[in-house]
Amino acid sequence: MADPRTFVVVGAGLCGATAVATLRGEGFEGRIVLIGAEELAPYERPPLSKEYLRGEDPFDRILVRPSDWYGDHDVEVRFGTHVTQLDAQARALVLAGGERVAFDALLVATGGHNRGIDAPGAELPGVLDLRYVGDADRLREAVAGGARVVCVGMGFIGAEVAASLRAMGCDVTVVEIFETALYRVLGGDIGRVLEAIHRDHGVTMHFNDLVARFEGDDRLERVATRGGRMIEADVAVVGIGTEPAVHIMAGTGLDQPGGIPVGPTMQTTIPGVFAAGDVARHEHPVFGPMRVEHFDNALKMGETVARNMLGAEVVFDDPHWFWSDQYDVQIQMAGFAPTWERMVVRGSLEDRSFCAFLLDADGVLRSSVSIGWPRDVRRSFELIRRQARPDPAALADPAVDLRTLVPPEG
Amino acid sequence: MAEFVNVGRADEIEEGEAKAFPVNGAEIAVSRIGGALYAFSDICTHRQCNLSLGGEIDGTSITCECHGSTFDMTTGQVLEGPATEPVATFPVREENGELLIEA
Repeated sequence: MADPRTFVVVGAGLCGATAVATLRGEGFEGRIVLIGAEELAPYERPPLSKEYLRGEDPFDRILVRPSDWYGDHDVEVRFGTHVTQLDAQARALVLAGGERVAFDALLVATGGHNRGIDAPGAELPGVLDLRYVGDADRLREAVAGGARVVCVGMGFIGAEVAASLRAMGCDVTVVEIFETALYRVLGGDIGRVLEAIHRDHGVTMHFNDLVARFEGDDRLERVATRGGRMIEADVAVVGIGTEPAVHIMAGTGLDQPGGIPVGPTMQTTIPGVFAAGDVARHEHPVFGPMRVEHFDNALKMGETVARNMLGAEVVFDDPHWFWSDQYDVQIQMAGFAPTWERMVVRGSLEDRSFCAFLLDADGVLRSSVSIGWPRDVRRSFELIRRQARPDPAALADPAVDLRTLVPPEG
Repeated sequence: MAEFVNVGRADEIEEGEAKAFPVNGAEIAVSRIGGALYAFSDICTHRQCNLSLGGEIDGTSITCECHGSTFDMTTGQVLEGPATEPVATFPVREENGELLIEA
C-alpha cells in the first residue's frame, strides 16, 4: 500500500525545493505539496544581483530544477499561493481564500522579505529594492543605457549590485550607515579592502551616513542624506537587510522577529513542524542560536530537514559558508563570528589575496574569510566545526595544509 | 565514432591533482587518484565554473570552488548540490607515458 502521509513544504525557494527533492531521493512515496507565493518554479536568488541582473544568464539557467521536474516526481505544486496561517491544533495550513491543506509533517521555508526604508519619498518611482526576479527585471530596465544610481546600504546585496551596475555603465554612489563596506559581517580591516576595490572601480561611497529622504516631483530625482549630502539620482536601490517571513506562525508563539526558533534538528516545539533556511533561528551545536541568509545554508538545511521529516533526527552542524562575487573578486567566508578577539592572516590584505582566520578569546577558530584563497576556506570547515584551537603561526603560514591542523577525534 | 586523443604526457597529472585539457572542443579534466586516472567534464553543471581550477579533491570527489557542488570523479554523479546534473565522464588511459582520452 502506498504511503498515506502528506508532507507539506511552504516556501518554494532553494530550501523548500531541495527538501522536496531530498524527500523523493530518500524514497518517500507519500503525497508532497510544495506551496510558493511566487508564480514561478523555485529559482536561485544569488544571480539576481549578478549574472541575471546583468543579462548574462536567462531565467531558465537560474532555476533550482527544470520546471517539469516537480510534476515528473509527483510533487503537487501550488505556486502563486499565499498561506495565511498555520492551524497547529488541526495540523493544517490555511490558504488565502480559506482552503485548508492538512499535513502529517510540515516544513516552513518561507525565507524573508526585505526591510523597508523608513524615509519620506520611499514610494517614489525609481526607488527600488531587490529580492525577486521581477525586482531584478525592473532594476535592469530602469538603468538601461546607464543611470545615476544610489545604493542604500553596502552589505552584500548593495556591494554586489554596485559592482554589477558599474559593469552596466551606471554612475554608482553608496550611502552606508557603518564606517566601511560590509562592516557588519567582515569587520573594519577586511571591509576596507572591499571598500578600496569598489573605489578602484569608480564607486563613490559615503560612510557613516544614511538616507534622510528621497526627493522628486513624479519620480526620484535626488537622495538627501542625514549628513547633509544631496545626491542627484535616477534610481535608488535599497538593500538594508531582511526580516524573516514568520507571519504564518501567528498564534503559535513562534512568529518571532529573530526567526522561527528550531532545535538542532530543525524541529519547532510543535511536533512534526520544521523550519529551515532564512526563516529559521536554529540552535546550532557549535555557534548557538543563529539565523543566516546564506544560499549554501538553505541548500544544506533543505537536505537535512527532509531526512528529519522522515525521522532521521540528524543534528545540523554545518559550519556555514557563503561566497560573494564583486567585479573579478570572489569573497568566501566560512563559520560564524559576530565578534572576534584576533585575526590571523595568511597572504596579504594589501594585495587583496588572503585567507584571514577569526579567533575568539579562547583561541577557537570561529570563521575564515578569503579573497582568492577559497581552498583554505574550505579546508577550515572541519577546524571550525570541531571548535579547534589551531596554532596561529601555522594558520599564518601558507605552506601549512589546514587539514593537518584538525585535532584527532575524541 | 569517438577515438582516443593524445593530450600530452601522463606525468603532468600528479597524485591527488586534476588538470584540464581541450579535447575536440570540450574541456576535459583528468585526475589521478590512488594511481588511477579519471577523466570527466571540467565544466561544473551548476554555473559552468572550471572544476580543475581550485577544485578541492578529497578521495574520489571534487568540489567546485565557486559554489560547492561536489562530484564523484569516477562516475560523474552529484554528491552535493547546488548542481543537480552529473558531469560527463570519459575513458582515459596511459600508454607509453602518453595520456589518451576517448572523446
